[in-house]
Amino acid sequence: MEKTVNLQIQDTKDIDMKKRKMYIRMITASLLRRRSRMIIALLAISIGAMILSGLVTIYIDVPRQMGAQFRSYGANMIVTPDSDRMMPDQVEAVRGLVPDDKLVGIAAYRYETVRVNDRPVMAASADLEQVQKTSPFWLVDGEWPAADGEIMIGKNVARMYNLKPGKRMTCTYAPESETEAGDGETEEVVLDNWVDFTVTAILDTGGKEEDYVYMRTSDMEKLTGEATAYDVCELSVSSGSDELKALSGKISEQVPGVSARLVKRVTESEDTVLSKLQSLVLLVTVVVLALTMICVATTMTAVVAERRKEIGLRKALGASNQSIIAEFMGEGIVLGACGGLLGAILGFLFAQAVSRNVFHSSITLMPWLVPVTILASVLVTGAACMIPIRSATQVDPALVLKGE
Amino acid sequence: MFVRMIAKAFLRQWKKMLMIAFTIALGSSLATAMLSVMMDVEDKMNQELKAYGANITVVPKSTSVISDLYDVGDENISGNYLKEDELGKIKTIFWAFNIVDYTPFISTQVSLDSGNTATLTGTWFNHHMDLPTGEALDAGIASLRSWWTVDGEWLDEQSDGSSECAMVGSSLAKKEGLSAGDMIHVTGSKEEKNLKVVGVFDSGGEEDDLIYVTVDTAQALGGLEGKIDSIEVSALTTPDNELAQKAARDPSSLSVSQYETWYCTAYVSSICYQIEEVVTDSVASAVRQVADSEGQILNKTELLMILITILSMVGAALGICNLVTASVMERSQEIGLMKAIGAHNPAITGLVLTEVLCTALIGGVIGFYAGIGFAQIIGHSVFSASIQIRPMVVPVVAVLVGLVTLIGSIPAIRMLLNLRPTEVLHGR
Repeated sequence: MEKTVNLQIQDTKDIDMKKRKMYIRMITASLLRRRSRMIIALLAISIGAMILSGLVTIYIDVPRQMGAQFRSYGANMIVTPDSDRMMPDQVEAVRGLVPDDKLVGIAAYRYETVRVNDRPVMAASADLEQVQKTSPFWLVDGEWPAADGEIMIGKNVARMYNLKPGKRMTCTYAPESETEAGDGETEEVVLDNWVDFTVTAILDTGGKEEDYVYMRTSDMEKLTGEATAYDVCELSVSSGSDELKALSGKISEQVPGVSARLVKRVTESEDTVLSKLQSLVLLVTVVVLALTMICVATTMTAVVAERRKEIGLRKALGASNQSIIAEFMGEGIVLGACGGLLGAILGFLFAQAVSRNVFHSSITLMPWLVPVTILASVLVTGAACMIPIRSATQVDPALVLKGE
Repeated sequence: MFVRMIAKAFLRQWKKMLMIAFTIALGSSLATAMLSVMMDVEDKMNQELKAYGANITVVPKSTSVISDLYDVGDENISGNYLKEDELGKIKTIFWAFNIVDYTPFISTQVSLDSGNTATLTGTWFNHHMDLPTGEALDAGIASLRSWWTVDGEWLDEQSDGSSECAMVGSSLAKKEGLSAGDMIHVTGSKEEKNLKVVGVFDSGGEEDDLIYVTVDTAQALGGLEGKIDSIEVSALTTPDNELAQKAARDPSSLSVSQYETWYCTAYVSSICYQIEEVVTDSVASAVRQVADSEGQILNKTELLMILITILSMVGAALGICNLVTASVMERSQEIGLMKAIGAHNPAITGLVLTEVLCTALIGGVIGFYAGIGFAQIIGHSVFSASIQIRPMVVPVVAVLVGLVTLIGSIPAIRMLLNLRPTEVLHGR
């Protein structure tokens, strides 16, 4: 008695196994046999998946990438000393508070009035490599000063003294208190503090910088004979205005003796424009995705609808509706998963190409997007197959086979 | 007979044809929408970027030289001003349509009751102008300083008694203990006045130390009737290229045809040049911070949109192609039968192609209009303005849909032509 039960269990297990094997064979055979149709379906699904993963990647990455572009507007945060001047270690402390990957540039300036041909000119000194990062919009005619004794002069200064790149100019430094003291003393000071410069570049900004001359920090120290202390520090940080506000609060709080402010013109306008851009990409993504998914669905429908006869024949042979649906859905899911995977890879490559071409930087890989893409393709394919299968299973096999 | 066969095919298989037409409509609406948005995005983003304020400043020719040469601290004596009555001319230059906003500035030193001196600047807030072209323009700093946060209200030039009102910068207000609604007494070099503070603004910049009033008030206080210090102009510009950079250095270095191209393109340098032509003794220069960055961002946005458009067009094209192939292949039995009863290959090709192209035409036209609808939805929800549909879109979409449908039919038709009627009818 026990033996028979066991045998029966063995039997059902066997049948189950066989059924499963048969199911898999049917699906693979059907996929292989109808190669051209299946390639069409696979292509359709992968296009849909590619657009999904490509556009979503771009949509998520656009604020980061565009934000970096907006840094071409220059500094968005200013740090000023509460008292007279900032020491280099205070600037270092400020720099330490800004996350490395967000910082585009930090340039601390020191301003002094120097005399050229006995007329006063504002001179600024800074780490000029950082200035190139915080003020990328400066139009420099010539080469940025790279060695000591080289100077960059504003357009108006150049016009006033009739200077061109390559010419020489002498700057003298006389602290105000001593200039006012008396004539005899002044001359001595003037003789002591002078540096001969070669003009390497003329600066065009359309702003007040055109009235200044820019030199390297070491030259300024030589000219004034004082160690460097800064008047103002410009920061270009690529993040949204809320993050910036938090950051400026943190700087004012944690670094003693300085206060940080946002350059409202830059931060507020960036928010406005960037949010428009993001909603543009979002809407475009939604419209394109919706249309593409419907496109994929119609193609799948067409591919499945073609098989009404097959369905009819199976029904005539005694297959249950359920088993037919299961088989077709199985096919659809396999197709959806393959197409989704292929599309996810293609989409990433597309987004990468866009990012390389537009922003000259690579895109961040979002691993979660792969399962999401596959899932979405499977769902769309499944839904698309469902409609023709249902209508096919509901009709009388005789009618289908007759071709009506 | 041919027409009848096609008409029959449509009637009999309307469901299938409807699906093809539907897919083609989707594809063509996608192409239309994306192309329209892409072509208009530069204009729209340009408008948005106006949030950064003016990109051109106009100053009298020799201010800097005079004040530096004679080392005069107070600029009021140097005597270099622009003329107020020439302001209207800015809206008459070749690119007048591209000038969206501009405002004059006139500064004078005033002393306050507390004994401090402050700089008082006269400007337009929402100055209303009726242009000779019949248009109206509200210009002034209310739109040119969109990043200001104002505690109180913006000064309204249209209201009565606007000449008795002022807006005060936040640092000055803090120093003097002023807030919106207070009265402030200022003494200029010519007159003195009681002004009502209507708003305290925070600009996050150097302007926070200034008092802003209307042009007339500032001129009366400083005895500077009809005079203007500087003008800020906000213009829609085309991003600079090599020609523009060459011209910016020296317009006379261009050849005649280059000069015409440059003059008739809305480069920031050519707009500057045209402003200098109409405003006597003026120097107009581009504010690099705004002008350059604007160009860069516009270029990037456009490139981004072009690439997205290409992706969606490729998607639409492949989608249509696929469906056409799938639905033509499906008809192998019907074609096999036709061949069996003696149809020639060209006849079959003609029949299938006509059917598909007719469907494509219907679907394409419907899709085109739907696409315009999508474009407008995008335009209104993102930029709150309608997207201008360029005529160029029509032929591009037509060619795209036509070509794609034909290409989609080719593999299917080739397959149909190679069919052996017996095999097909046999059901293999």
